Amino acid sequence: MKVFGWRRRLTPFDRKLTAILAICVFISFLLPLRQGIGARVLVERDGKVIYTADLDHDQQVELQGPLGVTVLQIEDHAARVISSPCPQKICIGLGKAKHSGDLLACVPNRLVIRIEGDEEKERGYDLLSR
Amino acid sequence: MTSSAVDPVALEQTRQRVFMALFIALAVALHTFEALLPNPLPWFRIGLANIMALTALFIYGVQALWIVNMARILVGSLLLGNLFSPAFLLSFSGGLLATLLMGLSFRLFRPKIGPVGVSLCGAVGHIGGQMLIAWLLIVRHPSIWMMLPFFLLFALISGMLNGLVADYLLEALSGHPAFGRLRTMFAKQG
Repeated sequence: MKVFGWRRRLTPFDRKLTAILAICVFISFLLPLRQGIGARVLVERDGKVIYTADLDHDQQVELQGPLGVTVLQIEDHAARVISSPCPQKICIGLGKAKHSGDLLACVPNRLVIRIEGDEEKERGYDLLSR
Repeated sequence: MTSSAVDPVALEQTRQRVFMALFIALAVALHTFEALLPNPLPWFRIGLANIMALTALFIYGVQALWIVNMARILVGSLLLGNLFSPAFLLSFSGGLLATLLMGLSFRLFRPKIGPVGVSLCGAVGHIGGQMLIAWLLIVRHPSIWMMLPFFLLFALISGMLNGLVADYLLEALSGHPAFGRLRTMFAKQG
């Protein structure tokens, strides 16, 4: 069994499928899904905004979720979760969020923390209240 | 009762049941093993268990694929203790759509499509199902689409890997007398 013969293991159809998917990946990276520097931080629980703050002011916020208190720190124009009652601590591992559109989600504690840019202010709040 | 007196159809059925049980057991083992691996990025899973589902699909058909994947998700989640939790819901919806796409692609394109192609469809389906449920139940904001490029890239890589491993496995199994049908299948291809 030759390890280097792996290309032979793809049928021509498989190759086409791989190429199509590779193109999709490439295009999806080009899409303007990521935006500029964020201005504000919003915290949502079950789809409702429960807290907003400017990223300019350094502070720590305690957010109440079903599991307990998640502590959000705002520092140097970035937000990050520094303590959380959830079992896997994924939200802490996500690190800092500072660009518009960045997201820190703590699924077990039902909290979604996201960064919003100035441009969204002009668009109104239709996006949020969905 | 000696084996020479057994009806060949009954023997084949029993054989299939035994191998299906083995495939499910291995899939559950891989599912659990993967959960034990350090996972620096949340939501990114290689889907090693899908190797067994792919193998079952190419040996016994679409029904076997459904049995292996559904049994694996249920038993695997039971073992890990996250049955019916939000994480389970994500895993289940991903598995459901992945299995659906894999079965469809197999039915529609079978002579042309190989394990790698089916595996890629499964990987994309898994992401699709997860994103959909994440969107409906948890995040409800367009910014989750930001993650899509990374998920797609990961699907491409993990889908290829799983497909290749399944192909190696199928080739190795085709040499075994219990899988006589496979050998004829491979012979037609090669």
